[in-house]
Amino acid sequence: MIILEVTNPASSVSLVLFFGTIGMLALTIGLIVFIIFHQRKVIRYQLKLQRMEQDQQKLLLNASIRLQEEERQRIAADLHDDAGPLLATARLYLNENLVNLDKSTQLQSIYNAKQIIDDTIQLIRNISHSLMPPTLKNFGLESAVNDLFQKISGSGSMNASSRFHDYKERLQAENELIIFRVIQELVNNILKHSNASFIHLTQNTSGNKFFIRLHHDGRGITQNDFNKLNKSNVGLGLKNIQSRLKVLHGKIFFEKDMSQTYYKVTIELVKEEDNKLAEQE
Amino acid sequence: MLPEIAFYSEILPIIFYLIFLKRNRGEGLWVIFIYCVLSPLTELLYFLMKSQAVFACFNIVQFTLFSIFCYFSLKEKKLKYIPVIGALIFYAVALSKFNDTGFDSLSQSLASVLSLPYCILLLYEQVKDPSIMFVYNNKKFWLIIAFFLYFSATLFLYIYYSTLSLEQRSNYWSINNFFEIVKNILFCVAFIMKKNVQRSDLTDIDMLDPDI
Repeated sequence: MIILEVTNPASSVSLVLFFGTIGMLALTIGLIVFIIFHQRKVIRYQLKLQRMEQDQQKLLLNASIRLQEEERQRIAADLHDDAGPLLATARLYLNENLVNLDKSTQLQSIYNAKQIIDDTIQLIRNISHSLMPPTLKNFGLESAVNDLFQKISGSGSMNASSRFHDYKERLQAENELIIFRVIQELVNNILKHSNASFIHLTQNTSGNKFFIRLHHDGRGITQNDFNKLNKSNVGLGLKNIQSRLKVLHGKIFFEKDMSQTYYKVTIELVKEEDNKLAEQE
Repeated sequence: MLPEIAFYSEILPIIFYLIFLKRNRGEGLWVIFIYCVLSPLTELLYFLMKSQAVFACFNIVQFTLFSIFCYFSLKEKKLKYIPVIGALIFYAVALSKFNDTGFDSLSQSLASVLSLPYCILLLYEQVKDPSIMFVYNNKKFWLIIAFFLYFSATLFLYIYYSTLSLEQRSNYWSINNFFEIVKNILFCVAFIMKKNVQRSDLTDIDMLDPDI
Protein backbone atom coordinates (compact mmCIF):
# COMPACT_ATOMS: atom_id res chain seq x y z
CA MET A 1 0.00 0.00 0.00
CA ILE A 2 2.82 2.38 0.95
CA ILE A 3 4.67 1.57 -2.28
CA LEU A 4 1.53 2.31 -4.27
CA GLU A 5 1.07 5.62 -2.54
CA VAL A 6 4.67 6.66 -3.15
CA THR A 7 5.03 5.60 -6.76
CA ASN A 8 1.51 6.16 -8.10
CA PRO A 9 -0.72 9.17 -8.14
CA ALA A 10 -4.32 9.18 -6.80
CA SER A 11 -5.67 7.73 -10.05
CA SER A 12 -3.67 4.57 -9.53
CA VAL A 13 -5.15 4.23 -6.06
CA SER A 14 -8.60 4.50 -7.59
CA LEU A 15 -7.69 1.85 -10.11
CA VAL A 16 -6.42 -0.51 -7.42
CA LEU A 17 -9.51 0.16 -5.34
CA PHE A 18 -11.81 -0.47 -8.28
CA PHE A 19 -10.17 -3.67 -9.49
CA GLY A 20 -9.52 -4.85 -5.95
CA THR A 21 -13.19 -4.54 -5.10
CA ILE A 22 -14.23 -6.23 -8.34
CA GLY A 23 -11.71 -9.01 -7.71
CA MET A 24 -12.88 -9.53 -4.14
CA LEU A 25 -16.49 -9.65 -5.26
CA ALA A 26 -15.68 -12.09 -8.05
CA LEU A 27 -13.85 -14.31 -5.57
CA THR A 28 -16.67 -14.15 -3.05
CA ILE A 29 -19.41 -14.87 -5.56
CA GLY A 30 -17.30 -17.62 -7.10
CA LEU A 31 -16.81 -19.22 -3.71
CA ILE A 32 -20.52 -19.04 -2.90
CA VAL A 33 -21.49 -20.54 -6.26
CA PHE A 34 -18.87 -23.24 -5.84
CA ILE A 35 -20.19 -24.12 -2.35
CA ILE A 36 -23.78 -24.34 -3.58
CA PHE A 37 -22.96 -26.47 -6.62
CA HIS A 38 -20.54 -28.66 -4.74
CA GLN A 39 -23.14 -29.33 -2.06
CA ARG A 40 -25.77 -30.18 -4.66
CA LYS A 41 -23.32 -32.56 -6.30
CA VAL A 42 -22.56 -34.24 -2.96
CA ILE A 43 -26.26 -34.55 -2.15
CA ARG A 44 -27.00 -36.01 -5.58
CA TYR A 45 -24.23 -38.55 -5.08
CA GLN A 46 -25.56 -39.45 -1.63
CA LEU A 47 -29.06 -39.84 -3.01
CA LYS A 48 -27.74 -42.10 -5.75
CA LEU A 49 -26.02 -44.22 -3.13
CA GLN A 50 -29.18 -44.28 -1.06
CA ARG A 51 -31.25 -45.38 -4.06
CA MET A 52 -28.76 -48.12 -4.85
CA GLU A 53 -28.95 -49.30 -1.26
CA GLN A 54 -32.75 -49.23 -1.42
CA ASP A 55 -32.69 -51.30 -4.61
CA GLN A 56 -30.36 -53.76 -2.97
CA GLN A 57 -32.65 -53.96 0.05
CA LYS A 58 -35.61 -54.53 -2.25
CA LEU A 59 -33.75 -57.41 -3.91
CA LEU A 60 -32.95 -58.89 -0.52
CA LEU A 61 -36.52 -58.51 0.65
CA ASN A 62 -37.84 -60.14 -2.51
CA ALA A 63 -35.38 -62.97 -2.10
CA SER A 64 -36.39 -63.50 1.50
CA ILE A 65 -40.11 -63.44 0.57
CA ARG A 66 -39.51 -65.93 -2.25
CA LEU A 67 -37.52 -68.15 0.05
CA GLN A 68 -40.26 -68.00 2.66
CA GLU A 69 -42.81 -68.96 0.00
CA GLU A 70 -40.62 -71.82 -1.16
CA GLU A 71 -40.29 -73.03 2.43
CA ARG A 72 -44.08 -72.86 2.83
CA GLN A 73 -44.55 -74.76 -0.41
CA ARG A 74 -42.09 -77.40 0.79
CA ILE A 75 -43.93 -77.80 4.11
CA ALA A 76 -47.27 -77.86 2.28
CA ALA A 77 -45.94 -80.51 -0.11
CA ASP A 78 -44.57 -82.60 2.78
CA LEU A 79 -47.89 -82.42 4.58
CA HIS A 80 -49.96 -82.97 1.48
CA ASP A 81 -47.89 -85.69 -0.20
CA ASP A 82 -46.65 -87.58 2.85
CA ALA A 83 -48.71 -86.87 5.96
CA GLY A 84 -52.01 -86.62 4.06
CA PRO A 85 -51.91 -90.04 2.35
CA LEU A 86 -50.54 -91.66 5.51
CA LEU A 87 -53.40 -90.36 7.62
CA ALA A 88 -55.91 -91.27 4.87
CA THR A 89 -54.56 -94.81 4.84
CA ALA A 90 -54.79 -94.99 8.64
CA ARG A 91 -58.36 -93.80 8.36
CA LEU A 92 -59.04 -96.55 5.83
CA TYR A 93 -57.85 -99.17 8.30
CA LEU A 94 -60.03 -97.70 11.00
CA ASN A 95 -63.14 -97.09 8.92
CA GLU A 96 -66.60 -98.24 9.82
CA ASN A 97 -66.23 -101.57 7.99
CA LEU A 98 -63.76 -102.57 10.67
CA VAL A 99 -66.65 -103.65 12.93
CA ASN A 100 -67.74 -106.19 10.35
CA LEU A 101 -64.33 -107.92 10.14
CA ASP A 102 -63.19 -110.84 12.30
CA LYS A 103 -61.07 -110.23 15.39
CA SER A 104 -57.66 -111.19 13.94
CA THR A 105 -58.16 -109.01 10.84
CA GLN A 106 -59.31 -106.17 13.12
CA LEU A 107 -56.14 -106.49 15.21
CA GLN A 108 -53.99 -106.54 12.06
CA SER A 109 -55.77 -103.40 10.79
CA ILE A 110 -55.32 -101.61 14.10
CA TYR A 111 -51.65 -102.59 14.14
CA ASN A 112 -51.22 -101.28 10.59
CA ALA A 113 -53.00 -98.05 11.49
CA LYS A 114 -50.73 -97.64 14.52
CA GLN A 115 -47.66 -98.15 12.31
CA ILE A 116 -48.90 -95.52 9.88
CA ILE A 117 -49.69 -93.06 12.69
CA ASP A 118 -46.17 -93.60 14.08
CA ASP A 119 -44.73 -92.87 10.64
CA THR A 120 -46.87 -89.75 10.44
CA ILE A 121 -45.69 -88.60 13.86
CA GLN A 122 -42.07 -89.11 12.75
CA LEU A 123 -42.75 -87.21 9.54
CA ILE A 124 -44.31 -84.30 11.38
CA ARG A 125 -41.42 -84.34 13.86
CA ASN A 126 -38.97 -84.15 10.94
CA ILE A 127 -40.85 -81.21 9.46
CA SER A 128 -40.91 -79.49 12.83
CA HIS A 129 -37.17 -80.17 13.37
CA SER A 130 -36.34 -78.73 9.99
CA LEU A 131 -38.24 -75.59 10.98
CA MET A 132 -36.56 -75.26 14.38
CA PRO A 133 -33.87 -77.79 15.32
CA PRO A 134 -34.44 -78.88 18.95
CA THR A 135 -30.71 -79.19 19.58
CA LEU A 136 -30.29 -75.53 18.72
CA LYS A 137 -33.09 -74.50 21.02
CA ASN A 138 -32.01 -76.68 23.94
CA PHE A 139 -28.23 -76.88 23.70
CA GLY A 140 -27.17 -73.95 21.55
CA LEU A 141 -25.37 -73.20 18.32
CA GLU A 142 -22.29 -75.30 19.01
CA SER A 143 -24.32 -78.50 19.58
CA ALA A 144 -26.63 -77.79 16.65
CA VAL A 145 -23.71 -77.25 14.27
CA ASN A 146 -21.93 -80.35 15.58
CA ASP A 147 -25.15 -82.29 15.11
CA LEU A 148 -25.56 -81.03 11.56
CA PHE A 149 -21.96 -81.85 10.68
CA GLN A 150 -22.21 -85.31 12.25
CA LYS A 151 -25.24 -86.02 10.09
CA ILE A 152 -23.35 -84.92 6.97
CA SER A 153 -20.33 -87.03 7.94
CA GLY A 154 -22.65 -89.92 8.77
CA SER A 155 -24.03 -89.92 5.25
CA GLY A 156 -20.53 -90.84 4.07
CA SER A 157 -20.52 -88.42 1.15
CA MET A 158 -18.32 -85.83 2.82
CA ASN A 159 -16.07 -85.39 5.79
CA ALA A 160 -17.51 -82.58 7.94
CA SER A 161 -16.06 -81.30 11.20
CA SER A 162 -16.56 -78.28 13.40
CA ARG A 163 -14.68 -76.72 16.27
CA PHE A 164 -15.84 -73.90 18.53
CA HIS A 165 -12.83 -72.31 20.22
CA ASP A 166 -14.50 -69.63 22.29
CA TYR A 167 -18.20 -70.17 22.82
CA LYS A 168 -18.69 -70.31 26.57
CA GLU A 169 -21.57 -67.89 26.64
CA ARG A 170 -24.46 -68.56 24.30
CA LEU A 171 -25.71 -65.81 22.05
CA GLN A 172 -29.37 -64.78 22.15
CA ALA A 173 -31.65 -67.56 20.86
CA GLU A 174 -32.85 -65.61 17.83
CA ASN A 175 -29.28 -64.66 16.88
CA GLU A 176 -28.17 -68.27 17.22
CA LEU A 177 -30.99 -69.29 14.90
CA ILE A 178 -29.96 -66.70 12.30
CA ILE A 179 -26.32 -67.83 12.42
CA PHE A 180 -27.39 -71.47 12.24
CA ARG A 181 -29.55 -70.76 9.19
CA VAL A 182 -26.66 -68.99 7.50
CA ILE A 183 -24.37 -71.93 8.21
CA GLN A 184 -27.05 -74.32 6.98
CA GLU A 185 -27.44 -72.35 3.75
CA LEU A 186 -23.68 -72.25 3.19
CA VAL A 187 -23.32 -75.96 3.89
CA ASN A 188 -26.24 -76.72 1.55
CA ASN A 189 -24.55 -74.69 -1.19
CA ILE A 190 -21.29 -76.54 -0.63
CA LEU A 191 -23.10 -79.89 -0.74
CA LYS A 192 -25.03 -78.93 -3.87
CA HIS A 193 -22.47 -77.12 -5.97
CA SER A 194 -18.91 -77.60 -4.78
CA ASN A 195 -18.09 -81.30 -5.06
CA ALA A 196 -15.97 -80.87 -1.95
CA SER A 197 -14.56 -83.82 -0.02
CA PHE A 198 -14.49 -82.02 3.31
CA ILE A 199 -15.96 -79.05 5.17
CA HIS A 200 -14.37 -77.69 8.29
CA LEU A 201 -15.97 -75.02 10.48
CA THR A 202 -14.15 -73.04 13.15
CA GLN A 203 -15.47 -70.45 15.55
CA ASN A 204 -13.31 -67.73 17.13
CA THR A 205 -13.63 -64.39 18.85
CA SER A 206 -11.30 -61.45 18.63
CA GLY A 207 -12.05 -58.33 20.70
CA ASN A 208 -15.68 -57.51 20.12
CA LYS A 209 -15.81 -59.57 16.92
CA PHE A 210 -17.25 -63.06 16.55
CA PHE A 211 -15.93 -65.13 13.63
CA ILE A 212 -17.15 -68.29 11.96
CA ARG A 213 -14.97 -69.73 9.20
CA LEU A 214 -15.87 -72.46 6.78
CA HIS A 215 -13.21 -74.21 4.68
CA HIS A 216 -13.87 -76.64 1.89
CA ASP A 217 -11.83 -78.08 -0.95
CA GLY A 218 -14.44 -77.98 -3.68
CA ARG A 219 -15.48 -75.34 -6.18
CA GLY A 220 -16.39 -72.13 -4.44
CA ILE A 221 -17.08 -68.48 -5.05
CA THR A 222 -15.05 -65.35 -4.32
CA GLN A 223 -16.24 -62.02 -2.97
CA ASN A 224 -16.60 -60.64 -6.51
CA ASP A 225 -18.86 -63.53 -7.49
CA PHE A 226 -20.87 -63.02 -4.33
CA ASN A 227 -21.33 -59.29 -5.01
CA LYS A 228 -22.35 -60.00 -8.62
CA LEU A 229 -24.85 -62.67 -7.58
CA ASN A 230 -26.24 -60.39 -4.93
CA LYS A 231 -26.98 -57.70 -7.47
CA SER A 232 -28.55 -60.09 -9.96
CA ASN A 233 -31.85 -61.90 -9.78
CA VAL A 234 -30.24 -65.30 -9.25
CA GLY A 235 -28.55 -66.54 -6.08
CA LEU A 236 -31.59 -66.61 -3.85
CA GLY A 237 -29.78 -68.44 -1.06
CA LEU A 238 -26.93 -65.94 -1.02
CA LYS A 239 -29.36 -63.05 -0.83
CA ASN A 240 -31.04 -64.78 2.03
CA ILE A 241 -27.69 -65.06 3.80
CA GLN A 242 -27.07 -61.38 3.20
CA SER A 243 -30.46 -60.31 4.53
CA ARG A 244 -30.09 -62.53 7.61
CA LEU A 245 -26.65 -61.11 8.35
CA LYS A 246 -27.95 -57.59 7.92
CA VAL A 247 -30.18 -58.18 10.93
CA LEU A 248 -27.08 -58.95 13.01
CA HIS A 249 -25.00 -56.15 11.41
CA GLY A 250 -22.75 -58.96 10.25
CA LYS A 251 -20.47 -59.32 7.24
CA ILE A 252 -19.55 -62.25 5.04
CA PHE A 253 -16.39 -62.73 3.01
CA PHE A 254 -15.82 -65.33 0.33
CA GLU A 255 -12.22 -65.94 -0.65
CA LYS A 256 -9.79 -68.49 -1.96
CA ASP A 257 -7.21 -69.72 0.52
CA MET A 258 -3.63 -68.44 0.23
CA SER A 259 -2.63 -71.90 -1.00
CA GLN A 260 -5.31 -71.61 -3.73
CA THR A 261 -6.56 -75.07 -2.73
CA TYR A 262 -9.37 -74.23 -0.38
CA TYR A 263 -12.26 -71.85 -0.43
CA LYS A 264 -12.90 -69.92 2.73
CA VAL A 265 -16.10 -68.25 3.93
CA THR A 266 -15.80 -65.92 6.92
CA ILE A 267 -18.79 -64.64 8.82
CA GLU A 268 -17.93 -61.65 10.94
CA LEU A 269 -20.35 -60.50 13.61
CA VAL A 270 -20.24 -57.82 16.26
CA LYS A 271 -20.90 -59.11 19.78
CA GLU A 272 -24.36 -58.51 21.16
CA GLU A 273 -23.82 -55.43 23.37
CA ASP A 274 -22.16 -53.64 20.48
CA ASN A 275 -24.90 -54.86 18.18
CA LYS A 276 -27.54 -53.27 20.41
CA LEU A 277 -25.60 -50.03 20.38
CA ALA A 278 -25.43 -50.12 16.59
CA GLU A 279 -29.19 -50.68 16.42
CA GLN A 280 -29.84 -47.74 18.74
CA GLU A 281 -27.67 -45.51 16.54
CA MET B 1 -30.26 9.12 -3.33
CA LEU B 2 -28.20 5.99 -2.61
CA PRO B 3 -27.30 7.01 0.98
CA GLU B 4 -31.00 7.57 1.73
CA ILE B 5 -31.97 4.17 0.29
CA ALA B 6 -29.12 2.58 2.25
CA PHE B 7 -30.39 4.21 5.44
CA TYR B 8 -34.00 3.13 4.94
CA SER B 9 -32.93 -0.37 3.91
CA GLU B 10 -31.46 -0.72 7.40
CA ILE B 11 -34.93 -0.57 8.89
CA LEU B 12 -36.28 -3.43 6.73
CA PRO B 13 -34.50 -6.31 8.52
CA ILE B 14 -35.76 -5.00 11.88
CA ILE B 15 -39.34 -5.00 10.62
CA PHE B 16 -39.07 -8.48 9.09
CA TYR B 17 -37.38 -9.89 12.15
CA LEU B 18 -40.23 -8.66 14.33
CA ILE B 19 -42.94 -9.80 11.90
CA PHE B 20 -41.46 -13.32 11.64
CA LEU B 21 -40.34 -13.45 15.23
CA LYS B 22 -41.54 -17.05 15.64
CA ARG B 23 -39.43 -18.25 12.71
CA ASN B 24 -36.35 -16.50 14.01
CA ARG B 25 -36.49 -17.70 17.58
CA GLY B 26 -33.92 -20.16 18.85
CA GLU B 27 -31.59 -19.67 15.89
CA GLY B 28 -29.16 -17.30 17.62
CA LEU B 29 -30.30 -14.53 15.28
CA TRP B 30 -30.84 -12.09 18.10
CA VAL B 31 -27.20 -10.97 17.69
CA ILE B 32 -27.89 -9.96 14.11
CA PHE B 33 -31.11 -8.26 15.20
CA ILE B 34 -29.17 -6.13 17.72
CA TYR B 35 -26.69 -5.33 14.93
CA CYS B 36 -29.59 -4.28 12.66
CA VAL B 37 -31.05 -2.04 15.40
CA LEU B 38 -27.70 -0.41 16.19
CA SER B 39 -26.89 0.29 12.56
CA PRO B 40 -29.54 3.00 11.85
CA LEU B 41 -29.19 4.29 15.43
CA THR B 42 -25.51 4.96 14.77
CA GLU B 43 -26.34 6.98 11.68
CA LEU B 44 -28.92 8.97 13.61
CA LEU B 45 -26.44 9.56 16.39
CA TYR B 46 -23.81 10.68 13.89
CA PHE B 47 -26.35 13.03 12.35
CA LEU B 48 -26.94 14.57 15.80
CA MET B 49 -23.37 14.57 17.15
CA LYS B 50 -21.31 14.93 13.94
CA SER B 51 -18.48 13.01 15.54
CA GLN B 52 -16.39 10.27 13.88
CA ALA B 53 -16.17 8.62 17.31
CA VAL B 54 -19.72 7.33 16.76
CA PHE B 55 -18.59 5.32 13.72
CA ALA B 56 -15.45 4.14 15.51
CA CYS B 57 -17.62 2.88 18.39
CA PHE B 58 -20.05 1.27 15.99
CA ASN B 59 -17.18 -0.47 14.22
CA ILE B 60 -16.11 -2.03 17.52
CA VAL B 61 -19.69 -3.02 18.40
CA GLN B 62 -20.31 -4.35 14.88
CA PHE B 63 -17.21 -6.54 14.99
CA THR B 64 -18.03 -7.71 18.52
CA LEU B 65 -21.54 -8.74 17.47
CA PHE B 66 -20.28 -10.53 14.39
CA SER B 67 -17.69 -12.34 16.53
CA ILE B 68 -20.44 -13.38 18.97
CA PHE B 69 -22.52 -14.62 16.02
CA CYS B 70 -19.55 -16.63 14.78
CA TYR B 71 -18.82 -17.97 18.25
CA PHE B 72 -22.38 -19.27 18.65
CA SER B 73 -22.64 -20.52 15.09
CA LEU B 74 -19.42 -22.52 15.03
CA LYS B 75 -19.98 -26.03 16.28
CA GLU B 76 -16.45 -27.33 16.54
CA LYS B 77 -14.94 -26.38 19.88
CA LYS B 78 -11.45 -25.75 18.55
CA LEU B 79 -12.76 -23.36 15.91
CA LYS B 80 -14.61 -21.33 18.53
CA TYR B 81 -11.25 -19.93 19.70
CA ILE B 82 -10.75 -18.20 16.36
CA PRO B 83 -13.39 -15.42 16.79
CA VAL B 84 -12.21 -14.90 20.38
CA ILE B 85 -8.58 -14.47 19.34
CA GLY B 86 -9.64 -12.34 16.37
CA ALA B 87 -11.71 -10.08 18.63
CA LEU B 88 -8.79 -9.61 21.04
CA ILE B 89 -6.46 -8.60 18.19
CA PHE B 90 -9.11 -6.25 16.84
CA TYR B 91 -9.72 -4.59 20.23
CA ALA B 92 -6.02 -4.03 20.72
CA VAL B 93 -5.71 -2.26 17.36
CA ALA B 94 -9.07 -0.43 17.43
CA LEU B 95 -8.62 0.95 20.96
CA SER B 96 -5.04 2.04 20.35
CA LYS B 97 -6.09 3.88 17.18
CA PHE B 98 -9.36 5.21 18.60
CA ASN B 99 -9.91 8.88 17.66
CA ASP B 100 -12.79 11.17 16.90
CA THR B 101 -11.01 13.27 14.31
CA GLY B 102 -11.26 11.12 11.21
CA PHE B 103 -12.16 7.81 9.66
CA ASP B 104 -10.17 4.97 11.26
CA SER B 105 -9.12 3.15 8.11
CA LEU B 106 -6.90 0.64 9.87
CA SER B 107 -9.42 -0.78 12.33
CA GLN B 108 -12.17 -0.76 9.69
CA SER B 109 -10.03 -2.72 7.25
CA LEU B 110 -8.84 -5.00 10.04
CA ALA B 111 -12.49 -5.76 10.87
CA SER B 112 -13.07 -6.65 7.21
CA VAL B 113 -9.90 -8.72 6.94
CA LEU B 114 -10.81 -10.68 10.09
CA SER B 115 -14.44 -11.08 9.12
CA LEU B 116 -13.68 -12.70 5.75
CA PRO B 117 -12.02 -15.82 7.22
CA TYR B 118 -14.86 -15.99 9.77
CA CYS B 119 -17.32 -16.16 6.88
CA ILE B 120 -15.30 -18.84 5.07
CA LEU B 121 -15.09 -20.80 8.32
CA LEU B 122 -18.84 -20.56 8.88
CA LEU B 123 -19.58 -21.60 5.30
CA TYR B 124 -17.17 -24.51 5.64
CA GLU B 125 -18.98 -25.68 8.78
CA GLN B 126 -22.34 -25.32 7.06
CA VAL B 127 -21.27 -27.45 4.11
CA LYS B 128 -19.76 -30.02 6.48
CA ASP B 129 -22.82 -30.18 8.74
CA PRO B 130 -24.74 -33.37 7.83
CA SER B 131 -27.95 -32.05 9.41
CA ILE B 132 -28.20 -29.25 6.81
CA MET B 133 -29.94 -30.50 3.70
CA PHE B 134 -29.23 -27.60 1.37
CA VAL B 135 -27.15 -24.69 2.62
CA TYR B 136 -29.36 -22.16 0.89
CA ASN B 137 -32.34 -23.36 2.93
CA ASN B 138 -30.54 -22.25 6.04
CA LYS B 139 -31.08 -18.83 7.57
CA LYS B 140 -27.51 -18.53 8.75
CA PHE B 141 -26.21 -19.19 5.24
CA TRP B 142 -27.87 -15.98 3.97
CA LEU B 143 -26.61 -14.00 6.94
CA ILE B 144 -23.07 -15.21 6.33
CA ILE B 145 -23.37 -14.44 2.62
CA ALA B 146 -24.59 -10.94 3.50
CA PHE B 147 -21.54 -10.28 5.66
CA PHE B 148 -19.22 -12.01 3.23
CA LEU B 149 -20.33 -9.86 0.29
CA TYR B 150 -20.36 -6.67 2.34
CA PHE B 151 -16.91 -7.14 3.86
CA SER B 152 -15.26 -8.32 0.64
CA ALA B 153 -16.78 -5.45 -1.35
CA THR B 154 -15.76 -2.78 1.15
CA LEU B 155 -12.34 -4.20 2.06
CA PHE B 156 -10.38 -2.20 -0.54
CA LEU B 157 -12.49 0.88 0.08
CA TYR B 158 -11.58 0.85 3.79
CA ILE B 159 -7.91 0.11 3.09
CA TYR B 160 -7.51 3.03 0.68
CA TYR B 161 -10.05 5.37 2.24
CA SER B 162 -7.48 7.54 4.02
CA THR B 163 -5.47 7.98 0.79
CA LEU B 164 -8.49 9.17 -1.25
CA SER B 165 -9.33 12.77 -1.97
CA LEU B 166 -12.64 14.17 -0.66
CA GLU B 167 -14.25 13.87 -4.08
CA GLN B 168 -13.06 10.30 -4.51
CA ARG B 169 -14.31 9.46 -1.02
CA SER B 170 -17.82 10.64 -1.80
CA ASN B 171 -17.72 8.77 -5.13
CA TYR B 172 -16.43 5.53 -3.74
CA TRP B 173 -18.62 5.62 -0.65
CA SER B 174 -21.43 4.53 -2.93
CA ILE B 175 -19.81 1.05 -2.93
CA ASN B 176 -20.39 0.95 0.81
CA ASN B 177 -23.97 2.17 0.40
CA PHE B 178 -24.76 -0.28 -2.38
CA PHE B 179 -23.47 -3.29 -0.49
CA GLU B 180 -25.15 -2.02 2.67
CA ILE B 181 -28.42 -2.33 0.74
CA VAL B 182 -27.47 -5.80 -0.57
CA LYS B 183 -26.57 -6.85 2.98
CA ASN B 184 -29.89 -5.65 4.35
CA ILE B 185 -31.84 -7.41 1.59
CA LEU B 186 -30.03 -10.64 2.38
CA PHE B 187 -30.77 -10.13 6.07
CA CYS B 188 -34.44 -9.78 5.14
CA VAL B 189 -34.26 -13.03 3.13
CA ALA B 190 -32.79 -14.79 6.15
CA PHE B 191 -35.42 -13.41 8.52
CA ILE B 192 -38.34 -14.18 6.19
CA MET B 193 -37.42 -17.73 5.21
CA LYS B 194 -38.83 -20.71 7.07
CA LYS B 195 -36.82 -22.66 9.58
CA ASN B 196 -34.03 -24.96 8.35
CA VAL B 197 -34.88 -28.13 6.45
CA GLN B 198 -33.09 -31.04 8.08
CA ARG B 199 -31.28 -33.69 6.07
CA SER B 200 -33.42 -36.36 7.72
CA ASP B 201 -36.49 -35.06 5.86
CA LEU B 202 -35.59 -37.16 2.85
CA THR B 203 -39.10 -37.13 1.48
CA ASP B 204 -38.77 -33.41 0.84
CA ILE B 205 -35.70 -33.75 -1.37
CA ASP B 206 -37.53 -34.10 -4.63
CA MET B 207 -39.69 -31.12 -3.80
CA LEU B 208 -36.78 -28.90 -2.79
CA ASP B 209 -34.41 -29.67 -5.61
CA PRO B 210 -35.95 -29.38 -9.04
CA ASP B 211 -32.98 -31.09 -10.71
CA ILE B 212 -33.44 -34.34 -8.83
